[in-house]
Amino acid sequence: MAVAAAAAVRADPAGAATERWAERRGRGEVSGTARGSSSGPVRADLEEVFRRDYERVVGVAARVLGARDEAEDVAQEVFLSFGRSNVPAAEARGWLSVAAAHTALNLLRSGRRRASREETAAAADSPVVSDVAEAVVTLEERRRVRAALARLPRKSAVALVLRHSGLSYADVATALDLSLGSVGTTVRRAESALRKELNRHASSD
Amino acid sequence: MRHPTEGVLRRLVDEPAGVADADRRHVADCAQCLSEVASLQQDATLVGAALATAGTSDVEAGWQRLQAAAHSARPPAAHPARAQAVPQPRTSRYRAFLRRPAAAALGVAVVLAGAGTAAANDWVKIFRTEQVAPISFSTSDLVSLPDLEAYGNLEITKETRVRTVPGAGVAAAQSGLDVPEVAGLPRGVTGDPVYQVGEEAAATFTFSPERAAEAAAQAGEPLPPEPAGLDGSSVRLVAGPGVAQIWTSSSGLPALVVGRAVAPTAYSSGVPFETVRDYLLSLPGLPTEIAAQLRTFTADGSTLPLPVPSDQVSTRTEQVDGHQATVLTTRDRLLSAVVWVEDGVVTVVGGALDDDELLDVARGLT
Repeated sequence: MAVAAAAAVRADPAGAATERWAERRGRGEVSGTARGSSSGPVRADLEEVFRRDYERVVGVAARVLGARDEAEDVAQEVFLSFGRSNVPAAEARGWLSVAAAHTALNLLRSGRRRASREETAAAADSPVVSDVAEAVVTLEERRRVRAALARLPRKSAVALVLRHSGLSYADVATALDLSLGSVGTTVRRAESALRKELNRHASSD
Repeated sequence: MRHPTEGVLRRLVDEPAGVADADRRHVADCAQCLSEVASLQQDATLVGAALATAGTSDVEAGWQRLQAAAHSARPPAAHPARAQAVPQPRTSRYRAFLRRPAAAALGVAVVLAGAGTAAANDWVKIFRTEQVAPISFSTSDLVSLPDLEAYGNLEITKETRVRTVPGAGVAAAQSGLDVPEVAGLPRGVTGDPVYQVGEEAAATFTFSPERAAEAAAQAGEPLPPEPAGLDGSSVRLVAGPGVAQIWTSSSGLPALVVGRAVAPTAYSSGVPFETVRDYLLSLPGLPTEIAAQLRTFTADGSTLPLPVPSDQVSTRTEQVDGHQATVLTTRDRLLSAVVWVEDGVVTVVGGALDDDELLDVARGLT
């Protein structure tokens, strides 16, 4: 049946993320996929959830991709998927964030992005300056950090991105099925790996 | 006391309140831990800055775009600034592409299976697949496709156990199929494939009037009158064995799959095929549009219907070695597959590649 299965093409945005979610929720229940829905194509609370979480979902994807327009495309896809899902409303934010991170990472890893995209987007934006003056990061460093992000184990990369997108440790633990205690370790290891791509202060520690 | 772990110190940077009092007291008095926290904090800040992007998004514009996409039941339109190249997640779609459709394909095929009048308790061969034909329906129809479990008992009598085997020779020996050889790999696909073999799979669907009545009641509609002899009628679908060669991309997901299997064959017991088909098609829950499309399939049975979401996948017909092949391409052109049947054996070339690249692979198989 493998062949017959492969023959029936069915595209599903954010499929990997939703499948992971479904796996976690137990096989067969298929929470968070389009298949479980029988009430119609679009869920009723979509607008409410969209307005509440859109900025965050774009933010998650933008941290991965470094380009806001691409991140908005990812967000559209993720919300479209969500709209046809039966993910419980209480879990929407975590689900959306995880789906956005996976979808964006897939895109980052696919290598099919236009090479100039990130550069153009970053050049159009002013240099990113955090409240710490020394944290001005060059374009080249940003590129290297993203390349390193794409090489990280999937869970580490998602945990890092979710944490930096403002999800609490408890949210990250729930969303990724990690123990609360291991979130800090996972995030730290990811940061340590990415930190190596930043020239500055390489020996300041 | 022992120094808190790095993970605890890292959390202290973000959520001091989440760290146990004892650990916080320790860190406050420990020069080594304080230095460690400062270092972790600096790394976190730098990495955060490297990942950050400036600007905000227009929520209202985003919502309008989503509504347009949802209402037109099409994938979201590309960002206006770059309609030419829409980078989308190939790999996640690919995963779905590989895993999802088995049940749906089987379900629809089972609905369509069963033709001619069969002697009671005798399995009569209805069809051997000689042709593949896509049935189009939109995604909203797809999610509301009735689960056949609601109308009877769908029993997987022989489950496929797919296993990896060491090479083409073993794959051929175990599947009894000629393992197609790929003449030249498309650009971007490298390395050696993994060979997988699946055994024969079989499923039997037996209609149950009780379940159908229940399903109808849930849909708030009366169950249409049941034709005589339908109760207990079964259709059986047998597929496989099959063999697949899978080239994996650097992300660990399949980049190219070349699969071949003995195409599904259907058997029937009980009432005529048309009776089963028309009755199932009349049951509450099946969108009328799909029902109309399914009705066009006749009982001669040489056709394997392939459910295809029309809003996301386009299809066309091409020739592969003199056989009519169906080419499926997702609307975003990220995934394609070429499917054809030759002498009761179905071959699929699929992947995250352009359809023309896959056609080249398909035509180059030896």
